[in-house]
Amino acid sequence: MSASTLILLVLGLGLAGWLAARSRAAMFRRANDGRRIASLPVYHGWYAALWIVIPTLLFALLWSAISDQLVMQQVLASPAAAELPSFGIQRQTWLAEARAVATGAASGVFNPEAEGLVEPFREALTRYNIIGLVVTLLIALAGGAWAFLRLKPDFRAHTRVERTVLATLLIASLVAILTTLGIVASLVFETIRFFGMVNPIDFLFGIHWSPNPMTDGSNPDPERYGAVPLFWGTFFIGVVIAMIVAIPLGMMSAIYLNQYAAPRVRTWLKPALEILAGVPTVVYGYFAALTIAPAIRDIALKLGVENPSSESALAAGLVMGVMIIPFVSSMADDSIAAVPQAMKDGSLAMGATQNETIKRVLVPAALPGIVAGIMLAISRAIGETMIVVMAASATARLSANPLEAMTTVTYQIVANLTGEASMDSASTLAAFALGFVLFLVTLVLNIIALRIVKRFREAYE
Amino acid sequence: MVMSETTDSPIANPVNKSLENENIAHGEPKMRARGVDVYYGDKKAIDGVDIDVYTEYVTAFIGPSGCGKSTFLRALNRMNDTIPSARVTGTIELDGEDIYASGMDVVQLRARVGMVFQKPNPFPKSIYDNIAYGPKIHGLAESKPDLDEIVEKSLRRAGLWEEVKDRLADSGTALSGGQQQRLCIARAIAVDPEVILMDEPCSALDPIATAKIEELIDELRGRYGIVIVTHSMQQAARVSQRTAFFHLGHLVEYGHTSDIFTNPAEQRTQDYITGRYG
Repeated sequence: MSASTLILLVLGLGLAGWLAARSRAAMFRRANDGRRIASLPVYHGWYAALWIVIPTLLFALLWSAISDQLVMQQVLASPAAAELPSFGIQRQTWLAEARAVATGAASGVFNPEAEGLVEPFREALTRYNIIGLVVTLLIALAGGAWAFLRLKPDFRAHTRVERTVLATLLIASLVAILTTLGIVASLVFETIRFFGMVNPIDFLFGIHWSPNPMTDGSNPDPERYGAVPLFWGTFFIGVVIAMIVAIPLGMMSAIYLNQYAAPRVRTWLKPALEILAGVPTVVYGYFAALTIAPAIRDIALKLGVENPSSESALAAGLVMGVMIIPFVSSMADDSIAAVPQAMKDGSLAMGATQNETIKRVLVPAALPGIVAGIMLAISRAIGETMIVVMAASATARLSANPLEAMTTVTYQIVANLTGEASMDSASTLAAFALGFVLFLVTLVLNIIALRIVKRFREAYE
Repeated sequence: MVMSETTDSPIANPVNKSLENENIAHGEPKMRARGVDVYYGDKKAIDGVDIDVYTEYVTAFIGPSGCGKSTFLRALNRMNDTIPSARVTGTIELDGEDIYASGMDVVQLRARVGMVFQKPNPFPKSIYDNIAYGPKIHGLAESKPDLDEIVEKSLRRAGLWEEVKDRLADSGTALSGGQQQRLCIARAIAVDPEVILMDEPCSALDPIATAKIEELIDELRGRYGIVIVTHSMQQAARVSQRTAFFHLGHLVEYGHTSDIFTNPAEQRTQDYITGRYG
């Protein structure tokens, strides 16, 4: 009996319970001369259905986890199993083959020695299938009967059903949180392994980055794992260059949209600006690599720079800056819009011009929100990967010249994780350590930004 | 209704009475409105209003909600310009100069005709910076001592100096509601206006803070032309010498406060001040 038939059976039982309980509740109402009963009949129906479905599904989950082992035990106890080799691949293969034939997944065995095991497998599988089915049915009946017996005119089925709904919602929200925790845990675990090979001090403060996936096994040279050039590249591209682009442009477009644009212009421009946020980053990436980077190199050549790099930090940073304009501008727009009109009127009524009002009242009043928006934009920029993978370079370099090639943390994570080195070599594990540092930095930025936004909201409520 | 007791003693305020009795001759009106209509889109909110505002008197605008008194008040310093659909016709003059003429600089106009709003709206800056804001943008102070002097003078005139002189660096928003409103009045005074428009300045305040503001208005009279919109008939009777009663966008009656409250010419005024409607 397959899992899907079993699930259909359980759902069928649930439906039957639902119908039975609902009609019984409807009977209460009739018996009560049409007076109100504590819950609508449909809630009685759901109550019974849930009592049938949830325990049986829980049992089915448990059973699928343990029944394989029970089957295996029975097979190994059979006389045919005595001929099995005690260890190794052969033993596993024979068992797997016999099992495949027994369940009907394969038509015959490849190794004739497995033939003798097919029959014990078939017996054991049948036996535990029947046990599982019977117990499932018993549980369904017990659950249904329990629920059914509790139905009374004054039984408040709706509160029980609500509680189940609540529990379901809670579990759904926990899934995302637990996944995040799992990600963090795996990062921490691998990072610790990496720090077992390379001293954290060397990693965090060293200035040479040149891991060699071929030779760095479990005994790497710590001198080659100094991540400072990566942190610098990330900071220079994602914070310095990108912000020089994004902050002025984002602020100015927010002020224009919020304070000067006619409503009709605004209804067109604002969504258009937000489309920028929806462009896949890989598209920005090839725009940076194929259009902006060569253009910058040509301009640099004309300006007399010798041998300008074709992969410059400037190209990646400029395009990244354009990408995060919507983040800065939409937060700035929201915070300026949140400043009460009374504040603006107060300033205008003093004889301030609109420009003075914006500069001296609106922007200062909205500043916390604007700063928070910028921090979120920074955390987005330093975590950005596609643009730098396509437009920045693999060369780790400590330089303040934006025309030089630089690499970033995210670039190196991609390079080291997708490289040829094995999973437990230092160069692969270094990717986890880098990811962990990046995670911590963006986490701190986000927490600070959200706190600022919260305070700011409170100030105007 | 709540207004029933007002008719008994509308001019109990002795200051008010003496001034009315003196019946002093006054010069030219500070502001003169003739045939003013205000439209919001196609809707006419104010219809043909004629009013004179004098520096010697506090002028009160009363009337039921939605009668257009605040709209008219905002027309006096062109704050309606901030509402895209609003349109004003007719003439409003400040010292004989049409404020809606194309040559009029709105920024200068608003510096001369200041405004205090219904809800106190101090800027999220320090008390000092709230007051210094106007003088700075209008270049009224040459130096820091000048500015200090303007700040102190304005706060003194608004009766707030003693309460805040030791904490000028604190945020203006940290003051109590009544103090905030006096801060806003001080802020308006700081640019040395000729007229101050007050749009229900006490409606968000408790009775004690209200009394302080009313006292302040009385002290400022004569130095600045003051126009106050109010929902409280007692307040109009206490602080003003001229009262205008608005109804459905029309100016129903305008005259000496004592006449309006004791001997109104119009039945509608009579009905409103005795609480028959509104």
